[in-house]
Amino acid sequence: MKRGSGQSINFRDNARRAIENTTLRRAMRHATESFRQKRSDAIVGIPFEEWREQASELRKTVIGDIKGYVDEFAVNATKRGAIVHRLKTAGDARDLIGAILKDNGAKNIVKSKSMVTEEIHLNKHLESLGLRVIETDLGEYIIQIAGETPSHIIVPAIHKSREQIGRLFCEKLSCDFSDDPAVLTNTARGILRQEFLTADAAISGANCYIADTGSVVLFTNEGNGRMVTTLPPLHIVVTSIEKALPSIENLPLLMRLLPRSATGQTLTSYLSIITGARMPGAATGAKQLHIVLLDNGRSEIANGPYREILKCIKCGACMNVCPVYGMIGGHAYDSTYPGPMGVILSTLLNGIENAHPLLDATTLCGACAEACPVKVPLLKLLYELREMRVDKGYNKTAESLGMAGFGMAAKNAHIFQAGQTSARALWPLAGFLSPLTVNRLPKPTNRTFRRRFS
Amino acid sequence: MKNEEVVRIFMENSAKVAARPIRVNGIIHMNEVLGEILANESAIYCPGISELEKAATIDTERRVDAYTDATVAVEESVAGIAETGSVVVTSANGRAVQASLLPAHHVAILSADNIFMSLDEFFAGLGKTPPTNITLITGPSRTADIELTLTIGVHGPEKVSILVV
Repeated sequence: MKRGSGQSINFRDNARRAIENTTLRRAMRHATESFRQKRSDAIVGIPFEEWREQASELRKTVIGDIKGYVDEFAVNATKRGAIVHRLKTAGDARDLIGAILKDNGAKNIVKSKSMVTEEIHLNKHLESLGLRVIETDLGEYIIQIAGETPSHIIVPAIHKSREQIGRLFCEKLSCDFSDDPAVLTNTARGILRQEFLTADAAISGANCYIADTGSVVLFTNEGNGRMVTTLPPLHIVVTSIEKALPSIENLPLLMRLLPRSATGQTLTSYLSIITGARMPGAATGAKQLHIVLLDNGRSEIANGPYREILKCIKCGACMNVCPVYGMIGGHAYDSTYPGPMGVILSTLLNGIENAHPLLDATTLCGACAEACPVKVPLLKLLYELREMRVDKGYNKTAESLGMAGFGMAAKNAHIFQAGQTSARALWPLAGFLSPLTVNRLPKPTNRTFRRRFS
Repeated sequence: MKNEEVVRIFMENSAKVAARPIRVNGIIHMNEVLGEILANESAIYCPGISELEKAATIDTERRVDAYTDATVAVEESVAGIAETGSVVVTSANGRAVQASLLPAHHVAILSADNIFMSLDEFFAGLGKTPPTNITLITGPSRTADIELTLTIGVHGPEKVSILVV
């Protein structure tokens, strides 16, 4: 979704506010530390590097011919009774999904987690049509009743403490206060069970789709994904075009990498492979299955220099190791996808003119690229996008002037020396003007490297 | 007879993900164990489609036809996967895959002969026209959405028992 010009993301202010929020800081530290630990434990004793290499090659093959895999999938899924829709823009997808639900007279809709529906702001649209949409993943349910957006692509309510969730449930669901996760989970379970059994329609995402069988695949833990894909008579799958796997025989590789990288599990509690609509006389599956394959700028990315970001399998490992994400959480990015992959994908999906401030959200430490299970060259892409930002003039004027000045000085010994001298002389003044920045920098030395040898 | 080593690995890995695997020696033993683990259940769903399901002794007083009313579902799983400790249920033969989801306790009967060592072995044998729904179940329903505290039994079963026959 394109933001209008002049509405670029105010990342620096968001980040500053996030850093001042001690509850958020505590929650993020706990979450990213424990995810990092779980992931490192999960990749011990397995040929992780070998699998990464294989998965990287496989994903490269897919993004080299997305259209071919979409075509093959559409043919095979249609054979099995699914209705496949290929849509260009977020607006097209919203309109179509709204129309399908309206045409079928659906009023109550249960949803299982889908980041693509967040990307296209689907819930807001459906609510404007008078439809009732209930998120059923516990984390998504929490942020839905709080009126917020996800702050992590795997654990959407990661920024909230148990006390906050307890108070929220108490207020919105009129139940007694508890901060015990088991009690809170049980409260949500009771409410959502009724929703599953009475819903007219379901919307889910898909972690991947399989070209040679026409299947969609969901990795879930809670069971809500299974509920929404088996109980309501109408099921709409919303996913994006790059999530193809060529063959069902490729699935074990993804199964070994995705849960380990996401939550440190060997495998999620449930893996659902759904191929087509319910057959006559069968007892499982939606009678009507729609599969929405959204482009929303991805074909263009696939043809450009940053195409490798589309290898991403949305595991969240890069976020959990990112020092910036760990400090500020997902909301500061003001974008559907946060963290290192989010910075890159958001810049490409929303346009550099809107998303350029996000390119500040990196220390260029490269931890993300090391963690990525499909070897997306995240560090390289971040570098290249930052270069592109400079080329297009979206970096700050002060940064450009500073860099031009340094470039000049670095070529001329006299200017360089003058710079060092004035830095020493002006240091107390600089500290007075911008204490936060200056306190983090090393103090200019009296005995410089050059002077030692002169 | 399936390689006992594969069965052993399956049992070990399914226990690791908090399922309760129990090795039984034949139908008589299976029914003894079933009697014990169903003792406290008030409404038992068992579709009675496969041979092993037909052989299972289910108290008629407590047996229900609708899985939505059941406290426990007793079903044969079509396959097990040792690598991950998973059992596999599918929509083939008119089965409702959601029957193993709604009740709080899922009792999977699994023939030792149907345990695959690896995910690759299982998927290589699937072919290009899989049933409408294939679900791999790896332990009970779980979440860590609140402060990453593991909570068992969200929307699906909190107890998964596996009888390996």
